[in-house]
Amino acid sequence: MFKVKLNFFDEYKIILIVLVFLSCLPFFMSTSLATEILIFGLFTSGFNILLGYTGILSFGHAAYFGLGAYTAGFVLKNCFGSVWLALFGSLVVSAIMGIILGFLCIKRKGVYFAMLSAAFANMFYFLALSPFKDITGGEDGLKEIPILMLQFPFRLSLSKPLNVYYFVFVLFVISIFVIWKIIHSPFGKVLKGIRENEERMKACGYNIKNIKIVSLVLSALFSGLAGGLYTIYLDYVPLRTFQWLTSGRVVAMALLGGTDTFIGPLVGAGIFLFIENTVSIVTARWEIFVGALIVLVILFSPGGVTGIFKKKN
Amino acid sequence: MIFGYSINLLVMQAILGLSLGAIYVLMASGLSIIYSLLDIVNFAHGAFYMLGAYGIYFFLNYIGNFYIALLLSIVIVTIIGMITEIYLLKPLYSRGDPLHPLLLTFGLSLVFPDIIKIFFGLIGKNVNFPDQMIGAIYWKSLVIPKYQLFIILISIASISFVAILLKKTNIGMILRASTRDSLMVKLLGINVSRMWTLGFMVGTAFAALAGGMMAPLVSAIPDMGVSIILPCFVVVVVGGLGSLEGAIISGIIIGETVSFVSLFAGAYSDVVIFVIMAIVLIIRPRGLLGQIGRKG
Repeated sequence: MFKVKLNFFDEYKIILIVLVFLSCLPFFMSTSLATEILIFGLFTSGFNILLGYTGILSFGHAAYFGLGAYTAGFVLKNCFGSVWLALFGSLVVSAIMGIILGFLCIKRKGVYFAMLSAAFANMFYFLALSPFKDITGGEDGLKEIPILMLQFPFRLSLSKPLNVYYFVFVLFVISIFVIWKIIHSPFGKVLKGIRENEERMKACGYNIKNIKIVSLVLSALFSGLAGGLYTIYLDYVPLRTFQWLTSGRVVAMALLGGTDTFIGPLVGAGIFLFIENTVSIVTARWEIFVGALIVLVILFSPGGVTGIFKKKN
Repeated sequence: MIFGYSINLLVMQAILGLSLGAIYVLMASGLSIIYSLLDIVNFAHGAFYMLGAYGIYFFLNYIGNFYIALLLSIVIVTIIGMITEIYLLKPLYSRGDPLHPLLLTFGLSLVFPDIIKIFFGLIGKNVNFPDQMIGAIYWKSLVIPKYQLFIILISIASISFVAILLKKTNIGMILRASTRDSLMVKLLGINVSRMWTLGFMVGTAFAALAGGMMAPLVSAIPDMGVSIILPCFVVVVVGGLGSLEGAIISGIIIGETVSFVSLFAGAYSDVVIFVIMAIVLIIRPRGLLGQIGRKG
């Protein structure tokens, strides 16, 4: 695919600048849009472990995002409204689902895996829609989540948008740091090796299947966490978290930002949501812009926005 | 009486399932033809299906004859497919990454429904049944709905037509050869790129035919493509990617399963096909008739 040419320190600095910028984002735009950018930035970064670094396209990440969101909502409703327990639940459930789907279909390559993951994610949509209506609330989504209070390490009301933003921001920074560490560890190098030449990695004695499953599970973990945070931010779980468009949106965000850089997915999520928000004020037909954007990026700049900058270097 | 249902009802349900299966077969074989020729999983296939349904609504208003409107709708959608292939997909082939065309067609699958929403509005459009196809045929004590029979027969006819085209004619031979080794075919002095366009057109024609025939049953809705594309992926995966025969068998199996499960346990009718897919993946990962060694 693409070669990563950016210097380690360069990218390190850029990420720091972006994080500082994100920390004062609510002062530039509406807090809800800023929170959404953080959540989807995390979601897209988690997704990109799979697409950008391992080279596997999943079209079903809505499954992990949705499971994370619904699990958090369920725990908040039934277990004393503990925020940490809810997020822990999202992590566990989405990771388990990553393992199951990994064992079922990780051996299928390329477009085959894309179709399989899309189909399985859609299964969750239909499961949430009618057979499990009593738990998920069906078409209305999961409602009546109690007013959220953070009890530990200090008391913080999560009903104020700005509080929610900074709560999400702290978890976002921690997760981004963890993802950074994973990508730049020896394990991260193995993932890139699989992306570049799978046969050769096999010949080097790596167990490709297990490594791919671990990569999928890591990706599912962060997607699930993003889903859990989405529940905390919305105070409600909409059915659209499981929709096929959610999977498509995260693919579009990663693509728009550029999948071959660490910062790309974050930039992509920011630009995507900003455009979507601006266009949806003017017209209800924002999907046409999103679709056209994907087509244009693929045709003219497959490296995404960050890819444009790299060409100039 | 079986399980408390009369035999007539079960036969009726089997015919409904067969007609649904025929639609799946048409869609899945379109996907399969495109995949085996161009190595593209066409995520916009559902959008072409939707365009087929709107095409018949549009032409029916002007012409009034269902069959001519269906034909015109197929022609128009096929031309749209041709333009898509030539101007959008062709530049991507040289990159050698099968994910790029997939993502591009995904982008198109968002664009087409929105264009339709702008011109025809959000609400679905009703398409009338052709006059001759209202009602049912009564044979002994069985009731066979005419329109479902029409869908089944047209599907059989068009699939056999393309199968004969592929197996018996020169063009079919070239098409099959270019799925195996397009470089060799190119070396023989044949314009392979034109063959790819032809293959894509056949695939979109199938999608448009399926959409056009479904229009009277479900009426034309902008988002109808999304609800058909994922079951079709399941059909293709179960049958084996790139296999026409596999698509036919699994399309019928899944159509019948959906039909009977919706009779016995309505809430699970959308979920059951994914369960079938999971079972097939565990027992036979390459699909029922998928070949070992083909990519994927």
